[in-house]
Amino acid sequence: MAAGQFSSAVSLSKNLEENLRILREALGSSNDVIIRDMKISSDSNVDTAVIYIDGLVDRGLLNHDILRPLMFNLQLIKDNLSHNHTSLIDYIKSSVLTVGQITVVQDIDIVISKVLTGHIAILAEGVTRALLIDAKGWETRRIEEPKNELSVRGSKESFTETLRTNTALLRRRIRDPRLTFESLQIGERSKTDVSIAYVKGITPESLIEEINQRLQRIDTDSILDVSYIEQFIEDSPSSLFPTVGSSERPDVVAARILEGRAAILLDGSPVALVVPFLFIEGFQNPDDYYARPFFATLIRWVRLLGYLLSIYLPGIFVSLKTFHPELFPTQLLISVAAAREGLPLPVVLEALLMLLLFEILREAGLRMPRSLGQAVSIVGALVIGQAAVSAGLVGAPMVIVIATTAIASFLVIPYAETGTLYRFIMTIAGGLLGLLGIALVSIEILSHLASLRSLGVAYLSPVTPLNIRGLRDTFIRAPLWAMDNRPASLDSPDTRRQSPGQMPRPPKTSFRQGDNQ
Amino acid sequence: MKRKHRLTIYLFILLVIIPVFISGCWDSIELNKLSIISGLGWDIDADTGQVTLTFQSIIPNEIKGAAGSNGSGGQRRGDPLHTIQLDSSTGSSAYDALNRYSQHSSRRTFYQHTQVYVFGHSAAQQGIYPFLDSISRNPINRPNVLMAVAEKNASDTLSVEDGMENIQAIGMAAEIKLSAEYSKYPSITFLEFANRLISKTTAPLAPMIGIIEQTAPKGDRVKKARINGTAVFNGDRMIGQLNEDESRGLLWAINKIKKGFLVIPGANLEIVSAKSIIVPELQGDKIMITIAIDEESNLLEYDGHREISSALLQDLEKDQAQEIESQVMAAVEKSRALNADVFGFGEAVHRRYKKEWPDLKARWEEIYPNIEVVVKVKTHVNEIGEIKKTMIKD
Repeated sequence: MAAGQFSSAVSLSKNLEENLRILREALGSSNDVIIRDMKISSDSNVDTAVIYIDGLVDRGLLNHDILRPLMFNLQLIKDNLSHNHTSLIDYIKSSVLTVGQITVVQDIDIVISKVLTGHIAILAEGVTRALLIDAKGWETRRIEEPKNELSVRGSKESFTETLRTNTALLRRRIRDPRLTFESLQIGERSKTDVSIAYVKGITPESLIEEINQRLQRIDTDSILDVSYIEQFIEDSPSSLFPTVGSSERPDVVAARILEGRAAILLDGSPVALVVPFLFIEGFQNPDDYYARPFFATLIRWVRLLGYLLSIYLPGIFVSLKTFHPELFPTQLLISVAAAREGLPLPVVLEALLMLLLFEILREAGLRMPRSLGQAVSIVGALVIGQAAVSAGLVGAPMVIVIATTAIASFLVIPYAETGTLYRFIMTIAGGLLGLLGIALVSIEILSHLASLRSLGVAYLSPVTPLNIRGLRDTFIRAPLWAMDNRPASLDSPDTRRQSPGQMPRPPKTSFRQGDNQ
Repeated sequence: MKRKHRLTIYLFILLVIIPVFISGCWDSIELNKLSIISGLGWDIDADTGQVTLTFQSIIPNEIKGAAGSNGSGGQRRGDPLHTIQLDSSTGSSAYDALNRYSQHSSRRTFYQHTQVYVFGHSAAQQGIYPFLDSISRNPINRPNVLMAVAEKNASDTLSVEDGMENIQAIGMAAEIKLSAEYSKYPSITFLEFANRLISKTTAPLAPMIGIIEQTAPKGDRVKKARINGTAVFNGDRMIGQLNEDESRGLLWAINKIKKGFLVIPGANLEIVSAKSIIVPELQGDKIMITIAIDEESNLLEYDGHREISSALLQDLEKDQAQEIESQVMAAVEKSRALNADVFGFGEAVHRRYKKEWPDLKARWEEIYPNIEVVVKVKTHVNEIGEIKKTMIKD
């Protein structure tokens, strides 16, 4: 259940002192909890308190639109409202405060939880209701360029940590009134806001239901990042392959939503989850759609090839060298053998050592303080590239193989982690059993991939189960005017994306009649 | 219930893991523990009948040095044969010699990349079947290794340096392939040789490699390996050889002409394409073979002073046809003399006259020298080059 609402709701009492005591007790003695006592009304005789958390609310709004009207404007009004405190609150709500979102609540628990999310509460003596004003106004990061999903021609906006900003980014791209953000709170203590974004009529209802169920099943004290949610809702937690997609680009998420998927946005996380996630999505990139189809298709093949290389190359190299040297062309064998001469380690260990060294370098490059970056990269490049070879510890072909693999593994970012794990597995299998081992692991990977599902959608679709129309966005990227339907595997109720036959062609009659002579 | 389930999983994991680790790397090979054999030579001592195998193996360390990368290699630079090691071992049979070699070699021998098998002249004359048998029995040997017969000893031939390639056997294999590509001498792989051997009537062939001595520009005497003939076998025994013209004639007849040059009086032509077909005909007791050759060529040089005209081209075509016919006939004459069916006439007859074949096959040695051979050549000159008129007129 969305946390926050305690089952035994405590109503506000008429006694302001009593209410404040409960609030103080609940919110503790932290110095960012501000309870501002004041007396309002034209006679300054009604005890009132404004409660908020410093840092979460917009101070300008607080001072100009709440405190000033309450303490100053109200005194100017000579109407005799002060005798009825209840109507005073209504009057304040309807005529005094110059702010947008005001709600009236009676539960003290709601007051507490709302204050904690950046609302300002106004309580008055003798009134069992409180006014809650949405005045969220904390320091946030600006919308910046995406750091991890780069694009040449696409938009340069990425999600931020603020949920509202993120929903706005999506809303700006999809101005359909049916774009819906369903929100709920997860986390007993963190009480994190979560939004499920989808377009009604495009995303199947059943999918939304399933997501809701899975989200509501989560019972944990804190959700600090969207990947927490990923790990709680994914279909195959024991698989090495991700079954939940994610993106930091609003344009990507919007495109996915319009294909019939749903996005999960989380307050505090600059990444949105997108489900269902298909295997082929990992090889799709926003630039595929922003570039013309021919180059996009080539690049997609490069990615596929690069991914296969990143998994297989060290394994195959090791197995050829240890078990099947006859498979090398003669000249290649001679140069490989020449480089192998005098090396102390068996090929498998050599490969594993280099793979490990690369992972160390990569992790260090990722985690170390920026200021140390240069030192590490110089040492790393020297140690791996030059010194290891000239010291006769590692063969030059092995360095080439590992370096190629390392670079290729970054072509397909969603599967980079998976690729690393399978690379190690392949290398060990190749070193133990040769090509037989490689074939065995390959069969394992393929059958495993074919068995995976992401929220009910086969992971390998549209390749298997085969959907010929769906193949237009897999191994080739068909022109946009040819992709008339949404991916069939996503089972969208509204399959048609656009009207067919929109291929641009010259007009039948020239519009420049004068040239037609 | 659940416990049983878990037990099954554990058992399964064990069953998967144990075979992997116990079978493990039992047949793994480290490249630096291999001696890669590039060429294999086979000699037989005519007196004692002892077999000598010559192993030409690659020394990777030396290649490393030659490639110019860092490393400790290249101690023996200066020696033109520094990248290969020549070693031999003698035994009573092929495998005996081979085993003796493996015993005193510091590395495991690796035959999968062998380029050529070279047979000494006297070994070839005595019969190479024991060698062929031991080679084909072992799956590590590849059927596409080239065969060659040395003019003298196999061991000498394998130790002649190749000016270009740093692995001598690779150079020799390339030379054989190039000579076949330019339609000078046939190249033959182990498999092709074995196929000819199996057919009983067809005579196996192999290029012959001789050693010539040349004077290098600096005045040193340099030895070079040169293909200088085609060895003709009867069964596994070499019985004779074809010279250059006869070898070309043979290639014309067996449709192995790819490209090459044809010299006729006063002109030199480049063969562009050639096709030939062998048509046997059984006339009573006599067999008549028609070899139909269709050739196209380009004119490369013409020494005469005639204007290029259709009449001249017709003359050139006629001369070509004559030359081709004489080459084929030379090969036919030689094969008759050797009584070796190098052309595969027997197989052609077999294909066309299945019923009569068993009878013919039995008497093939008697029939072969008396087969009547007709050569029909059709030639065509395609291009005459950039000039049409001659520079000197008659």
